Amino acid sequence: MDQAAADIKNAPLPTQRTLRLRQNLAFQLWRFIILNLRFAKIIAKGAK
Amino acid sequence: MRDPAGWPVFRRCGRGEFGVARVVVLGAGIAGHTAALHLRRMLAKEHQVTVVSPNSKWNWIPSNIWVGVGRMTTDQVTFALAPVYRRQRIEFHQALATELHPEGSPSNNAPYVSVRYTDPKRAGETGEITYDYLINATGPKLNFAATPGLGPDANSVSVCTPDHAREAAERFAETVGKLKQGIRQRLVVGVGHGTCTCEGAAFEYCFNVEHELRMAGVRDLADVTYLTNEYELGDFGVGGMIFHQNGFETTSKLWTESLFRERGVKAIVQAHVESVEPGTIHYEQLDGSKNSLDFDFAMLLPPFRGADLKAFDSTGNEISSEVFAPSGFMKVDADYTERPYEQWSAQDWPNTYESAAYPNIFAVGIAFAPPHQISKPRQSPNGTLITPAPPRTGMPSGIMGKTAARTIADRIANGASASAHRASMATIGAGCVASSGMGLRNGTAAAMTMYPVVPDFKRFPGTGRSAIDTFGEIGLAGHWVKYMLHVMFIYKARALPGWYLIPE
Repeated sequence: MDQAAADIKNAPLPTQRTLRLRQNLAFQLWRFIILNLRFAKIIAKGAK
Repeated sequence: MRDPAGWPVFRRCGRGEFGVARVVVLGAGIAGHTAALHLRRMLAKEHQVTVVSPNSKWNWIPSNIWVGVGRMTTDQVTFALAPVYRRQRIEFHQALATELHPEGSPSNNAPYVSVRYTDPKRAGETGEITYDYLINATGPKLNFAATPGLGPDANSVSVCTPDHAREAAERFAETVGKLKQGIRQRLVVGVGHGTCTCEGAAFEYCFNVEHELRMAGVRDLADVTYLTNEYELGDFGVGGMIFHQNGFETTSKLWTESLFRERGVKAIVQAHVESVEPGTIHYEQLDGSKNSLDFDFAMLLPPFRGADLKAFDSTGNEISSEVFAPSGFMKVDADYTERPYEQWSAQDWPNTYESAAYPNIFAVGIAFAPPHQISKPRQSPNGTLITPAPPRTGMPSGIMGKTAARTIADRIANGASASAHRASMATIGAGCVASSGMGLRNGTAAAMTMYPVVPDFKRFPGTGRSAIDTFGEIGLAGHWVKYMLHVMFIYKARALPGWYLIPE
């Protein structure tokens, strides 16, 4: 087995809770707001 | 009117009297189109803005990924440029720039660009377009020829253009059809040369393919492999990133590997594709080993080089080597001194994108020659360079285009000595959303931001980037962001009311 395959095999898997949160509409709506704020901050820094 | 140094000056000569400036933009991609729209908005009416592009349509390239799996049509990611430019009072030549004459010629003492028309009504005609300021935003030449057998005209598919993506979708549908008949298939997605860039796009397409296979109920029969020139997963051509998550520092390598494990996608890293035969990819890896990989479907991105544009001085002698780097990209205000990786600095990267040879020429987006890679360069024992080229698409491209436009607008208004605006990739950030699926609930995305794009180890000791502003997150929200960006940027590019309020 090459190194990349070994690294993938040993990588952590998300828990069931994390997988549910990734698709939970209410939680993702909150994350959508956060993501947009983070993007806006990056844009604002670039515009300086 | 010219100043004593010979630069064009367009000073206010008296009330209502202006010299007329002509700004020519080569290319109508994200950088060129952004520059042209902002120039038209910032310049007085009497000044002329001209766009030269061989393509009749604008393309929101990030969404080609969705075209490539059949989730969007080419019409959803493109629109005709001519009506937009007509409405904006921008002159449009559907033509390919072939020669640059920055000092004019014996028969024409103004700087000009030679073009060959691709407009069907003028096909084959040639012409000369004079300029006072020029923005080179020609983007890349898709260099499929660098790898024998690579590309849609040979043995693999691509998603670099809408037509390539449509063809990829057709081939992908055929592969899904075979899987539905119970025939096992191997799908390989990645990059087709050791020096390719845009690994993020290949990564995104790979996970779209994986998602579609699951949706079609044939995932268990498909072997999906990601083939990349990155030293390790999560490099993305930017040397990888460090994220802060739940009180720990984690690497983009571990974060990406987790996604590969979760989705059952295999990976081959440190690979330079040497050739693509029907059904077989031959590649060399960084340890010098030569290997082959059989495939039924392969989407491999090509390496890029600069557009086929030659430069000549006033006497007709070719000066391409002064204006362009060997890669064909235009040399700008970067520090091109060759140094070992350990001595690379954020200060090597250009700030103003002014040509090193002619300050009234700018090169933005992919068209400028980067001083070096961002990822650490590595060679195999056979001397093969296997290192991603630096990405400079999307958000940074738009910012560069606007920056050059602001400089030119200032110089036209205030004289050629007006100082240039600055936007080094070492001081701007970028966002990247790799999304798969379609619809409100049926999708997911890996959303990442990094600040700055080029690590600055003096400002941010240790990681080279801001720990707060460099992060990654997986979920449905990133997918919504990607679709929102699709809608917003096409609205902006169409120059619809308030377009300029949408940031680059």
